[in-house]
Amino acid sequence: MSQPVVLQLHQELRKCFQSLKANQMVWKGVLEECTPLVSSLGNLAEQLRALKSVEIANTPLSTFPNLPERLQYKLLNAVDTVLGELSDKVDALGLVRDSVCKQVSAVFQMYEQNSDVLPISTCVARCALSPSIADMLEWLQDTERYYRIQYIQRKNLLQLLKPDDLTLIETAPKRWTSLDSPREEERMTDALLQVSFFMESD
Amino acid sequence: MDEATTPGRKGNLTGSARKLKDNAADWHNLILKWERLSDEGSTIATKIVNFRLSKESVKEPEVMMEGQNSSAVPAERSGYHSNPELEEECIKLQNVVDRMAHILAKMEKMVSAEKGICELETFQYGEKGRPAPLFQTWSTQQFAEVSSGLYEAYKQELALKRTILGEVAHTTNPDLCMVYLSCWLYQPYIQDNTKLLLESLLMETGYRAV
Repeated sequence: MSQPVVLQLHQELRKCFQSLKANQMVWKGVLEECTPLVSSLGNLAEQLRALKSVEIANTPLSTFPNLPERLQYKLLNAVDTVLGELSDKVDALGLVRDSVCKQVSAVFQMYEQNSDVLPISTCVARCALSPSIADMLEWLQDTERYYRIQYIQRKNLLQLLKPDDLTLIETAPKRWTSLDSPREEERMTDALLQVSFFMESD
Repeated sequence: MDEATTPGRKGNLTGSARKLKDNAADWHNLILKWERLSDEGSTIATKIVNFRLSKESVKEPEVMMEGQNSSAVPAERSGYHSNPELEEECIKLQNVVDRMAHILAKMEKMVSAEKGICELETFQYGEKGRPAPLFQTWSTQQFAEVSSGLYEAYKQELALKRTILGEVAHTTNPDLCMVYLSCWLYQPYIQDNTKLLLESLLMETGYRAV
């Protein structure tokens, strides 16, 4: 009686893991594209800091009219451009998150609708080719949470950055890297490996 | 409408219009060349600064160890000067600045040629200038103004780069080195309106679609 439901749920899980796999690639790609942007942000902060600490009037550059103001304007403009590009990247991360959330909630919805005909014993049953439904649902939930938190944290960091707040811009690269979470990424990859046979079986 | 305004017929342009249109193309090309040289120079200047700063960090403990020893100063000096690698980069940068100066000289010639065109017009048509514009809307005087505006920006920029060339290899202050590099890279005297002037010039002469 519960067999068709299990098959259906398995099918949905397979679909979801497939899409997770694709999304993970996209996510990684976008994050890699962020790296040079973030480092050029740090670089610009360094240049702004240097400009602030040098007394132009006491240097060979003193004869140039309005040089510090002009240079600062140019540098701040560059910061603005980089922040804009980063914000586009973070939006792309948001799209990944949305897609993952949608897929995962579809699976959960299906599970909840059929939970009456899915006894605990069925949910925790596993075999060589397939992890248990409970395990897989847990992985999905972990993954979804990971993307949600990551996106919020990165978005939040970016929103804090203002071109005129030098200290924040200076520390941004460090804070951005500190958000990296190789352990979580690894856990996701592990989960995907554990379902690899399951994804191929039909 | 004057024939000069119809695109695809530039072969028919003669006299002042021909000259102004060619100058507009030259402005475009010279500025492109300038940008390329500026990038090239930026790489070289960064190398020089890195070279100097890394030298600095190596030298520091040495100087401290020698303490009051007066021989530390000449040793440091010879360290700067007998450095073929650093010298080579400086020569390369000099070379870039020379090529930029060459570009600026060409720009200057265009400015004076356009002044000449204006004077010719005053001679031909009197103080009011020609009755109809040569291209879309600009008077000949406006061409001369745009040219000299562009020229002034690049002239200031070249002076800045010359100063940087002279100083960048002799500066011990890392912050000042950084400022030199940002000045070189971000060209503070070439502003957004400089680009706007060039684009309007190209548009007026029909190189860019209106």
